[in-house]
Amino acid sequence: MRIILNSALAACAGMWLACIPPASADTPVTYTDDGRALFRFDVPDFWTLRTGGIREIEDTQLGDPRAVARVMGMRPVTDDNVWMGFVSPNGVKSIADGLRYLEDIDKFLVKEPTVTSTSDRRIGGLPARVIRGTGNRDGRGVNFTATVIDLPRDRVAIVVAILRNGADPAYADTLNAVFASFQPAR
Amino acid sequence: MTRRFIKPSVLALGLGASSLLLTACDGVSVGVGVGYGYDPFYDSMLWNDYYHDVDVDIDVNRPVRPDRPNRPGGQPPTRPRPPVAKPPVTRPPAARPPIHRPAPRRR
Repeated sequence: MRIILNSALAACAGMWLACIPPASADTPVTYTDDGRALFRFDVPDFWTLRTGGIREIEDTQLGDPRAVARVMGMRPVTDDNVWMGFVSPNGVKSIADGLRYLEDIDKFLVKEPTVTSTSDRRIGGLPARVIRGTGNRDGRGVNFTATVIDLPRDRVAIVVAILRNGADPAYADTLNAVFASFQPAR
Repeated sequence: MTRRFIKPSVLALGLGASSLLLTACDGVSVGVGVGYGYDPFYDSMLWNDYYHDVDVDIDVNRPVRPDRPNRPGGQPPTRPRPPVAKPPVTRPPAARPPIHRPAPRRR
């Protein structure tokens, strides 16, 4: 009897240990364009990823269908104050092009953006330009980090991370972990 | 003996129940109401890509679209009559005797 009870206690202790969240069980995801892998990153646990794909959209006023590149967006499952998006637009070949691409960010992603800092760094071993700033969206303030990463073979990756005001500041670590996991596809 | 039996079993049951409770509190297993019906940032990134390589300022007033031109004939053409006539709406049932009819009993 004692042996059975002891093993039951051990089983309960095991359940307790299993309740401690695992250190890292991220999910690697590869961004591909036209069958070619461009870069990969890790999706944090309990985040949802929206993959998208190459498609055509049309401005109803302009009446001009245009192809847009794959946009991957992700956010925590239970929190919409945090968002992170990846895109590798066609025809954007260098960091300078990427900065020009981001100039129009105020029309859509963030209203009234104010750039607070711009820095050069390396992400995944590649040269990158990081632009931090604030703005607003839907009447709420947001912090954004727009990054242009120079990929090999005349491509760039545009990564936009957005933290709305009121978001848990701990998400900054999660976003940085995603940047740390970024690497070009071999 | 009974005391010794009750104490660890209460402990074990309590621990087991609490672990089950903790898993129930996880809160990410059921995703009701957190779908992608409205995803403003995702959509914005799409539109950002839409406009990126074209020097179009969407705030500028574009020339208005001209009106539809008038028909050259004035009146619209008459509807063509289809060559196949419609079948009559009601038709008497075909007067065919049933193939198998009950035969009179043989003697």
